[in-house]
Amino acid sequence: MDDPLGLAAGWVQETLLIPLLYQLGLMRWEDVAFGWSLFAVYGACQVVITFAVCLPLERWRPVERWADSGAVWVDAIYTVISRVGALPLVTFVLFYRAQVALNGMLADEGWVPPTLERLFPFLLGQQTLTFILYAIILDCADYWRHWLAHQFRWWWALHSLHHAQRQMTFWSDDRNHILDDLIAFVWFGLIALLIGVPPLQFPLLILVLRFLESLSHANVRLSFGWLGERLLISPRFHRAHHGIRAAGQRSCNYGAVLPWWDMLMGTADFTRDYVPTGDPSGEEALATGSYWQQQSAGLRRFLRTFKTSTPGSAAPSP
Amino acid sequence: MRRALILFLMVLVLPATAHAGGAAFIINSAGASISVVDMATQQEVRRIPVLREPHHLVLSPDGKSLLVGDTAGNEMLFLDPATGAIQKRMPVADPYQLGFSPNGKVLTVAGLARNQIDVYDAASMKLLKRFPVVSTPSHIAYSPDSGAVYVTLQDSDRLIGIDLHKMEVLWNQPVGKTPAGVLWLNGKLLVADMGTDYVAQVEPATGKVMAKIQTGKGAHNLFLSPDHKILWVNNRAGGTTVSLDATTLKPIRSYAIPGGPDDIDFAPDGKLWITRRWAEKVAVLDPATGTYQTIAVGRSPHGLFLNPKAPTPVP
Repeated sequence: MDDPLGLAAGWVQETLLIPLLYQLGLMRWEDVAFGWSLFAVYGACQVVITFAVCLPLERWRPVERWADSGAVWVDAIYTVISRVGALPLVTFVLFYRAQVALNGMLADEGWVPPTLERLFPFLLGQQTLTFILYAIILDCADYWRHWLAHQFRWWWALHSLHHAQRQMTFWSDDRNHILDDLIAFVWFGLIALLIGVPPLQFPLLILVLRFLESLSHANVRLSFGWLGERLLISPRFHRAHHGIRAAGQRSCNYGAVLPWWDMLMGTADFTRDYVPTGDPSGEEALATGSYWQQQSAGLRRFLRTFKTSTPGSAAPSP
Repeated sequence: MRRALILFLMVLVLPATAHAGGAAFIINSAGASISVVDMATQQEVRRIPVLREPHHLVLSPDGKSLLVGDTAGNEMLFLDPATGAIQKRMPVADPYQLGFSPNGKVLTVAGLARNQIDVYDAASMKLLKRFPVVSTPSHIAYSPDSGAVYVTLQDSDRLIGIDLHKMEVLWNQPVGKTPAGVLWLNGKLLVADMGTDYVAQVEPATGKVMAKIQTGKGAHNLFLSPDHKILWVNNRAGGTTVSLDATTLKPIRSYAIPGGPDDIDFAPDGKLWITRRWAEKVAVLDPATGTYQTIAVGRSPHGLFLNPKAPTPVP
């Protein structure tokens, strides 16, 4: 029952965070700090494993080779911020605490927020099975969030930052506008309210899912075969979603881990092979700018949509 | 005849052996489970899964149920204190810390995330009154006559006193930075101020701080030994457990217990079982020698309850 990552988080908490919090008079944050250190240790582990697996794959069979791959390093910064740095803290502080408070409020009114385990009591103690069910539901929810991000002009303006990358690699999974990330937090917060997502209970399995999401962005000629691609999203399948022709409203392959929702909704395209990626309709800073240049360009594009069209109108077809 | 005699003796002895072990229940807050530990072998035997995030537990006044609060699950679990079998589940909003009054009439539940203190009728579990507070109510103590309950408000550096007869707030006073554990001792309230290195001595009538007793960095929680002679204080940031004379409040000895020492329960052999939040362990401290053994449990072990009379737990 060894838990090396949990113990590593404990070490970070005791050796680095608690002395700092005590000196700064911020001991009230000690519980939050431990939550963050858990997220951060698992995030760091995700980054290391992804790097160790995806980098050799990208070197082995790259889809594209670039003389200057400077734009890739900005994506690496996104990954570190998203998985190890500030975002896990925001996730824990905002999402988790808000979930507890909101669920409590509803419980007060006599409505106990449902959880899968309450609906199906046999799941209590069945960690792997429970997680798989949660993962399927969350993946379905993510399909719809992602599809909607391509339908609304203002949302696409934010999400286009993710699509602007012409040098797509396994680092690109986390290159998102911060407002797009915030919408995703709210989205999953609502889902959590409906089915009671337990974020801290399955960190190892979440690590596996995040790895698969990173892998799907990798610059590698890798397909899982006819059947495999219909069970799990491959780099080949997801690359079609990032294709130049697919940017915007008429994209395809919106799924993150499972291709099932695309197949059910008729948005799956298994025919496109290793297409070039990017979004020609966005300004250059979205693709090759620094972290802050990309964020500002995304914000400018977002604000422009309110001046030029009715909010809520569809994203442009390429 | 001789074989029959041996068999007869075995029948007499076996049940006693089976009941000799005792069971410890350790709550794993970040693991959504309760570890059941064999007190004799000091080994975890099994885990009871709960919904989301349990923190504290308390024995009902009749000794028939062990109440476990699952904060994020908004659920109170009632366990058999001997076997750990779940007796019932009850929806309760954000049950973080729980405590029955000395007369067993009321149950106070501190909702840390929801900033509320709920007072229930212990027999019917009917909510008598809710006190919205600012903010993060965390630990609970009662006056010995059960007339008042005191709750630390961790994020606002205050302690609140509530009159349980009139069901109204007596006072709400600053008591030091990030107050956590609170205990009634010799007519005074003691509050462990986690943002400091001391325990504040508070006058129960007014809520005013009368004295500060230095214990160590991040004084977090405090417990009175079963013989009422020793006060034990866990210092979260310093990683120490300190004993003080319960009458004079003079320090006796400091023990290094790394890994975020939190709650304590006392075993009949005089040893202290201490949860170590970040080490995923329970320390079994022998105060005489200063050495401790460790028991591996789940993630972020927090509240604990020892039942030495329970039968040896089975997987």
